[in-house]
Amino acid sequence: MASELESSLEASFSSSCVVPGASGCLPPARSRIFKIIVIGDSNVGKTCLTYRFCAGRFPDRTEATIGVDFRERAVEIDGERIKIQLWDTAGQERFRKSMVQHYYRNVHAVVFVYDVTNAASFHSLPAWIEECRQHLLASDIPRILVGNKCDLRSAVQVPTDLAQKFADAHSMPLFETSAKSPHDSDHVEAIFMTLAHKLKSHKPLVLSQPPEDAVALRPEARPALPCWC
Amino acid sequence: MALHREQRDGPTSSRWNGGTQKTDFSTKRKKKVAEIYQALNSEPPDVAALRRMAISEGGLLTDEIRRKVWPKLLNVSTSDPPPIPGEDLREVSKDYQQVLLDVRRSLRRFPPGMPDEQREGLQEELIDIILLILERNPQLHYYQGYHDIVVTFLLVVGKKLATSLVEKLSTHHLRDFMDSTMDNTKHILNYLMPIIDQVNPELHDFMQSAEVGTIFALSWLITWFGHVLSDFRHVVRLYDFFLACHPLMPIYFAAVIVLYREQEVLDCDCDMASVHHLLSQIPQDLPYETLISRAGDLFVQFPPSELTREAAAQQQAERTAASTFKDFELVSAQQKPDMVLRQRFRGLLRPEAHTKDVLTKPRTNRFVKLAVMGLTVALGAAALAVVKSALEWAPKFQLQLFP
Repeated sequence: MASELESSLEASFSSSCVVPGASGCLPPARSRIFKIIVIGDSNVGKTCLTYRFCAGRFPDRTEATIGVDFRERAVEIDGERIKIQLWDTAGQERFRKSMVQHYYRNVHAVVFVYDVTNAASFHSLPAWIEECRQHLLASDIPRILVGNKCDLRSAVQVPTDLAQKFADAHSMPLFETSAKSPHDSDHVEAIFMTLAHKLKSHKPLVLSQPPEDAVALRPEARPALPCWC
Repeated sequence: MALHREQRDGPTSSRWNGGTQKTDFSTKRKKKVAEIYQALNSEPPDVAALRRMAISEGGLLTDEIRRKVWPKLLNVSTSDPPPIPGEDLREVSKDYQQVLLDVRRSLRRFPPGMPDEQREGLQEELIDIILLILERNPQLHYYQGYHDIVVTFLLVVGKKLATSLVEKLSTHHLRDFMDSTMDNTKHILNYLMPIIDQVNPELHDFMQSAEVGTIFALSWLITWFGHVLSDFRHVVRLYDFFLACHPLMPIYFAAVIVLYREQEVLDCDCDMASVHHLLSQIPQDLPYETLISRAGDLFVQFPPSELTREAAAQQQAERTAASTFKDFELVSAQQKPDMVLRQRFRGLLRPEAHTKDVLTKPRTNRFVKLAVMGLTVALGAAALAVVKSALEWAPKFQLQLFP
């Protein structure tokens, strides 16, 4: 029984997420939930990005995601505790055709990911955007574009200005980052926090309970990135 | 039938420790090895007995035995020359890039401590096997997770035999997963909730109100748990079981795992995220033998034919008119081969039914029943594939076979 407990703890520790400095527990009070779906081609680094944000580090090794994986993390924004749920989806086309729709339900934001070293993953974006448009009825859902694997500078196939033009054309902010590079860990953090801020100001308060102790926004969580247009 | 943690008889490993139990176990094991070799060496090999051995406690015990028995379970001849790959398969295959990405990332599937060089060699073989099967069977489509199945065979039986075994498996047990779309895979997943409902309506209702869906079990189903279990011994034990049984058995096993975790599920917040998260993290210390035997019980007690209506209703809620029509067409198309097959089965079933009478123990009896079901349906699949209406044969076919 002891070993069982240990392994289940391990399992929940490794994938459910812990807020640095917040004792690892999700808030007991009912807090607002932001549901974010992460989509893009196979091997662009969706799992690594979501893992990095939720567990605070680059995973040792990741495998192909089959179906949909789920990670979450509780954060505090302007004194309000918020759960950020990231739904990490399979990249292979056949999965999204008949499997993933269920997970588009009640989504608050979408993160499109491409690999800056893989032009094909960038060229697939219009298909992903169209797919997303079909699933989400509300058109004003915040969407962001993330170019991953920036650490591989010599292998870049998608120039920033091209990606920026594309992002502008689709009214999305663009972030180029690396889930792997230790220098970019704050960056990954900032991307999701920016999104969370956007959602917080965007969405009316629905099911939250006011926090007892209002704490100021943590400095590293402040968006230090391009503004929303 | 309650089915949760409190009622189990402990993890398998603990049963293997301790003095007298250990002797007991080793006597039992020796006896089983002897029985397996007897079945293998009889002329022709006693496949029905091998199926029973693969299902019953401990499964086929060693990889050495698996190398001999798995081909028999799949009716693959070990003396056939291996299929010859076409030239430059990697250049022409449309799936090469995806297969490469998935195989490269599948490090966890190889035994820890294996030298990198050896692992890399096996990964190359893995790519070769997959591309070769896809090339020879253009009706099959690669899916992420297929590589998790192939690697299991590669590690147990080696490249040559793995190619033949997986090819056979792909056109039978895995056929539905390899369609051009995943609609049939979804259809099979739709059996999960009805099975849970039969055993534990409270748990079923809780999961329904959480709207958890069934995607948490997708990787379990299409990789036969190879993707989610870290101990290779557990994976091969389950493969013994699934190879000997009906192709829908993995979904029964998935249901048994959920039922076993009843209390944890009910303790969860009743929302999609919490329940999905809990269930997709599979505990690594499951009491496999107990669960295998439960899954067998459930299959016998609630055969797919009894669940078809609920599974269809589940589907109905989500489907479009077009795909419903496709199902309808398929059912009509299958009418004829089914009739032919049913007549054939009557003949085939008779000798098995006779064996069943001879055995008196109720426990053995269940294995016979399971083995018979596995055998007959596998044969059915072969015949259906020939008439090219194998699509969705598993659920629909059941309707005819076990009225």
